[in-house]
Amino acid sequence: MTALRPTEFAAMLAALTRHRGVLGSLVADAAQGIVVDASLQHGVAGDAVAALAASLYRKARLSAGAAGLGAVSFLRLEGELGNICVMGAGDLVLVTIAESRTNVGLLRAEMRRAAAALA
Amino acid sequence: MHAWTEAPLRRFVGESRVRYAVLLHPSGLVLGQHGFTHAVDVMSACSRAAAIRASAGALGVELSGAPFTDLYYGGAARHIYMAEAATPRGPYMLLTVFDGESSLGLVKLFFERFRAELASAAPPLDAGVIAAPADFEKELQRGLAAVLERGPARTVIGGRG
Repeated sequence: MTALRPTEFAAMLAALTRHRGVLGSLVADAAQGIVVDASLQHGVAGDAVAALAASLYRKARLSAGAAGLGAVSFLRLEGELGNICVMGAGDLVLVTIAESRTNVGLLRAEMRRAAAALA
Repeated sequence: MHAWTEAPLRRFVGESRVRYAVLLHPSGLVLGQHGFTHAVDVMSACSRAAAIRASAGALGVELSGAPFTDLYYGGAARHIYMAEAATPRGPYMLLTVFDGESSLGLVKLFFERFRAELASAAPPLDAGVIAAPADFEKELQRGLAAVLERGPARTVIGGRG
């Protein structure tokens, strides 16, 4: 991933990535899936995760709307080896990539606080 | 028909969900396209793509000493992404148009794969196969004739390249 100049989100992302088991966190444009800022451990493909996670979030939002469930606040994709968590914040999405051992409840609470600051 | 461009282009279109795609040589030779139904539309898109590439290249040289190779234009509902794919046969340009079904992030992500697949699929260049710089309109017409004579298939690959 191309090195980005730090933004106002850098401290918040670094704090999220310091959580046990979190491999990285990023803020991306929700519509276009482009990374705004990221704090990632070595080997995490931030650009790809941002593009695909933002796409998932958009689709989930549409699905929830179609099902009459209202707005999507939190999206968790559970994989064999870990989780991708996505939270919308206005035109942005906050994404974290975490190992299976991560306390997702705690991470979600932290993401909610961070997303409130983003929006 | 040049099969070496078919699989990469078809896969790129399927994965990225772009509405339109045109793969062309900078000379104007069209190698494949997806989404267009009229030759005149492909011709128009290719002419503009070549003009944009020339302008962006000159602007890049002016500003940073090297030509810009990727271009994104965000419209209200539709967006354009155009980028170069280097192959052993020389550079090719992919012009894409996408909407809310896709995103710039997805298009760039799958374009990187397309670029790698196209480069590995490209057969060695025979001397004189593409004479550059060629006559743009002549090459464009020849490519279009090959690409669009194939009927209504959505993704059509053809041309000489």
